[in-house]
Amino acid sequence: MLRRFRLEEPQSVAEVSELLGRFGESAKVYAGGTELLLAMKEGLVRYERLINVKGLRGLSDVAIDNGTIRIGALCTHRQLETASALQQKLASLVKLEQNVANVRVRQAGTIGGNLCFAEPHADPGTLLMALGAKMIAEKSSGKREIAAEDFFVDAYETSLETDEVLTEIRIPTPQANSRSAYLKFGYLERPSVGVAVALRVNGGGLSDPKIVVGCAGPAPRRVGEAEALLDGKSTQEATRNLAAAGTIAGRAAQAITDLHGSQEYKEHIVGVLLKRAFQSLVS
Amino acid sequence: MQFQKEVEIAAPREKVWQFIWDVDRFISCVPGCKDAKTIEEGKRYAATMVEKVGPFKVEFPTIIEVIEREELSRIKARASGADDKIGSRMKVDLDVNLRAHDNKTILAFVAGVDILGKLAALGHGIIKRKADQVLDEFAQAVKMKLEGDS
Repeated sequence: MLRRFRLEEPQSVAEVSELLGRFGESAKVYAGGTELLLAMKEGLVRYERLINVKGLRGLSDVAIDNGTIRIGALCTHRQLETASALQQKLASLVKLEQNVANVRVRQAGTIGGNLCFAEPHADPGTLLMALGAKMIAEKSSGKREIAAEDFFVDAYETSLETDEVLTEIRIPTPQANSRSAYLKFGYLERPSVGVAVALRVNGGGLSDPKIVVGCAGPAPRRVGEAEALLDGKSTQEATRNLAAAGTIAGRAAQAITDLHGSQEYKEHIVGVLLKRAFQSLVS
Repeated sequence: MQFQKEVEIAAPREKVWQFIWDVDRFISCVPGCKDAKTIEEGKRYAATMVEKVGPFKVEFPTIIEVIEREELSRIKARASGADDKIGSRMKVDLDVNLRAHDNKTILAFVAGVDILGKLAALGHGIIKRKADQVLDEFAQAVKMKLEGDS
């Protein structure tokens, strides 16, 4: 049962920030509510106040300008899977969004809520990290950019300060030779493992590879050591190094044995997904 | 969930043994443990365990019972508690062993941790990782406190 709470209806980000600063841990930002309300109904978390941000203007748009894709934090997953600008420029994100949970969740759940809740099995953070995304955090006194790599601290924990609000996700517009893919695998409601790969193809060579592993551990992790095995290599050389890169990425995932699979199983799946994602980008 | 930890402490076994029975100092090494009380000297203690994973916070009023005690070498204890707000229970079976090694002491313990109820919805993996982290921090805190004394 959902316990009683007070619903705040702020009209600006500054007001949200002020409320968060004033009420601290007893208040929580409420957007789509697809995860927050479930946790509250289960009695796992209790908040005296929910700060409804759904009415805030200007945070539900997708725009492309000056080489940057800007996604408002209040964009729903459904909006992102149908946004024509994204379909042209960032098909990997569109495909990811098409496969988030189910259509009811996608219709109500927001990208910002998904990132801020930082549920370890969530998909978007893993790909956003590979795409070099930046999170825009605002509070009454100003705003700052947080690299996606620095945004996820641990399971259910982000680097947002108590009074900061995630307002926008900025992704560098992929260049003509940029490719990216996100693959996941699981047999329960949520994925056991998710792997994102992004790179550039220059003639027969590869550059700027990014490999990120999610879902298996507490938070998405970029695996620089595995990336080094692909960087500057020809497609053939990189393909030969994939098994080693997969082993390194599997270990880096910090996988834990649970209902979603054993640690060894998840580490193995990381390697399989990495190989498939890579092949989909260079074939 | 079973955990095994071992830590080498640069202090004689007698000193480590005394430390374990100094409730206030010992409890200060357990992350998230507060309000420790002795109910019956050497047998029964009470404390409150507070742990947090992101926005999820649990508070277990806990009773610790000493089941077996072999002077200077072994303690077997059980800690159990319930958080009625969240609807979850915790049980920890702890087997602590002390071995002298040169002028040092090896503190080894096996902990069987069970978390039941709604908290389990967070996922076995997250809870296991948190419990592992708490036990590691505990072992290191004991080592630091005792070695800091010498």
